Amino acid sequence: MAGPAAPHPSTSATPAAGAPAPDAAGPTAPDVTAAPTPPATPLVALVGPPNAGKSTLFNQLTGLRQKVANYPGVTVEKHVGRFRSPGHGEVEIVDLPGVNGFSARTLDEQVTREVLEGRAPGLRAPDALVLIVDSTRLEPQLMLVEPVLEVGVPTLLVLNMADELAARDGGVDDGALGEQLGVEVVRANARAGEGLERVRRFLEHVAERGPLPPRPCPVISNVTRAQKRLSLPVVDAFAARRRHIREVGRQADYRPPQPSRLTQRLDRVFLHRLLGPLVFLAVVVLVFQAIFTWAVPLMDGVEWLIATSGAQVAARLPDSWFRSLLVDGVWAGVGSVLVFLPQILILFLFLGILEDSGYMARAAVIADRAMYRVGLQGRAFLPLLSAYACAVPAILAARTVEDERDRLATIFVTPFMTCSARLPVYALLIAAFIPDTPVLGPFMGARAATMLGLYALGAAAAVGTAFLLKRSLLKGKGSTFLMELPPYRIPSPRSLALRLLDRSRVFLKRAGKIILGVTVALWFLAQFPAGPDGPPDIGDSALGRIGKVMEPAIAPLGFDWQIGIGLVSSLAAREVIVGTLGTIYGIQEADEGSMELQAALQGHMSTGAAVALLVFFVFALQCMSTVAVMRRETAGWKWPALQFGYMLFLAYSGAWIAYRIF
Amino acid sequence: MKLPMAHPAGYEGPAAAVTELSLAQIGLSEVVELVRIDLPVEEVEPLLERGILPGCRICPVRFSPSGDPIVLVDGVLLALRKETAGCLCVRQAGAGEAA
Repeated sequence: MAGPAAPHPSTSATPAAGAPAPDAAGPTAPDVTAAPTPPATPLVALVGPPNAGKSTLFNQLTGLRQKVANYPGVTVEKHVGRFRSPGHGEVEIVDLPGVNGFSARTLDEQVTREVLEGRAPGLRAPDALVLIVDSTRLEPQLMLVEPVLEVGVPTLLVLNMADELAARDGGVDDGALGEQLGVEVVRANARAGEGLERVRRFLEHVAERGPLPPRPCPVISNVTRAQKRLSLPVVDAFAARRRHIREVGRQADYRPPQPSRLTQRLDRVFLHRLLGPLVFLAVVVLVFQAIFTWAVPLMDGVEWLIATSGAQVAARLPDSWFRSLLVDGVWAGVGSVLVFLPQILILFLFLGILEDSGYMARAAVIADRAMYRVGLQGRAFLPLLSAYACAVPAILAARTVEDERDRLATIFVTPFMTCSARLPVYALLIAAFIPDTPVLGPFMGARAATMLGLYALGAAAAVGTAFLLKRSLLKGKGSTFLMELPPYRIPSPRSLALRLLDRSRVFLKRAGKIILGVTVALWFLAQFPAGPDGPPDIGDSALGRIGKVMEPAIAPLGFDWQIGIGLVSSLAAREVIVGTLGTIYGIQEADEGSMELQAALQGHMSTGAAVALLVFFVFALQCMSTVAVMRRETAGWKWPALQFGYMLFLAYSGAWIAYRIF
Repeated sequence: MKLPMAHPAGYEGPAAAVTELSLAQIGLSEVVELVRIDLPVEEVEPLLERGILPGCRICPVRFSPSGDPIVLVDGVLLALRKETAGCLCVRQAGAGEAA
């Protein structure tokens, strides 16, 4: 496909944020920039169903020589790594998302098809394939073999978790299986690294043979080419393939494993009528506890590090606009992203354990009924839970929601969940305006009740919006919810660690660019037009003028131009408003606990306006990182624009009502 | 709007339809054979990809706390909604085994 002039994807596939890759014109466009033609490296694609151990194998083969990028135009992450073998050369390996078929119904299936067909921008057509399946679920997973063989390149079939098959009294003659299917078959246990020598040898062969010459694109789908010629309907095509696979299994002496005892026992508890929901609640509480209590000291530590290092840098530089840009712009911008990292790491550690152990699928089943009532489905539970930390990783996590309408509804309501960037704003305003009077006797004070109310308001908005969406824009015939419950397994620390690394890289890249950009832009707006003796008074700066222009629009909510500036600056990240208000009111080192800032706020706004501001923050989509991620995940501006407008409308009307009431 | 799916090989015509039940009516540990999926085409493909296709053996092994069936198909545990199970037309396994 891409000729020998194609550059290595790993060095070229990092498109700038927001902009489509320059090579999006088409994979056939000749690449003129790669003047001294590097010898092309053969590409091996790793294909397989979800939970078959694909990523484990990928990590075993590539180690840390891997990177994540987005496929241009689409939203699924592309994991590309390198396998090197001294004396044999090297191959590039792409780890494709887990798929159960090739209908192109889900984003994952679309991307997998594009790569296999050689149409993925920035990637050459694969020169060899490794199909990895879970031996304990062999027969249904072998349904992928025939479509994959249509690619027409050397293919290796890896029977993963072969040890588990044997341990549960199952078995298969891999030699006979290979003969029947017409592919090379190896047994492996990717987690323990067993059986990988043959996979490596396969890759070495591919490396030695070098890239294949360009060839026409195959078309991969659930219906094979022969079946298409007979114009078999999809059901018959599947049934025919299933019969064939059953026959293959018989010839290869396949004995399915006994049901896993451990899985049966654990399911008896986790899916129990009463215990199941209780365990589910306990898990949710645990995750909350982790991200709100255990992450706090770490976040404080990061905050302290940023502040101290910023002060150190400032002390070493002469007082100039450059120092101000570096410390107040760049440093503050980087800091406001980094401070969320501990929380996101802890969140993903917990979610990773839940997912790899197999519990997450059970949690989705338990959550499904309630989610279904509001128009979502069980798989949306994971993203919505993540959104209490930050909407950006949550929107990325929603990729597991198979049905496209359900996924759109999920990511549309995700920003309503109270993310941790709202907390400093809530804390400041509540401390300044809500008296700590008891509401429920000694159990709850007015402040705690307000906080709880804000959380509930956000969740209610999410539920209501999902309900409306599924009855209007995203209306459709009932979607099927089908969840495979994998056997319980002990998560591998190595996979968890690599995924954490991966996730944090993605978060820093996505959120970092935007927040940094907006922070620096705000810094400029606050510095200009500069007076004769340095930067202007904030009220006279470009930022201040924006606030004053906004004032008539926000006056009905009880906000003045200073709050207006705060609202503009919170577009970078919601909590930025705290620091901005501090600057506007001339308070040094202002944070949400600052008494001076609280006093200044009390002097500038009424309680009604403060409640209105709280309500505004519950609803409004003041987060450019979320908007940017939404654009990527929906491949266009339509959904983020609609979401921004809708949430702004809710925020404005909600704040207006709140100002009238309080 | 329900499109009947093509009959599988081994389906013996209307006479066999007398014993047809929906999967939602099947008790735990009872093994049944799938005859037909009464769902629109676009909702069928996910089922087919997971191995739920005419002729397969299905055995409900558990109910979720909300009463939705969890079934064993080809050694794989799958959770369905009862609404979906109601659209899966099954018959007692062994009743009409031709192949």
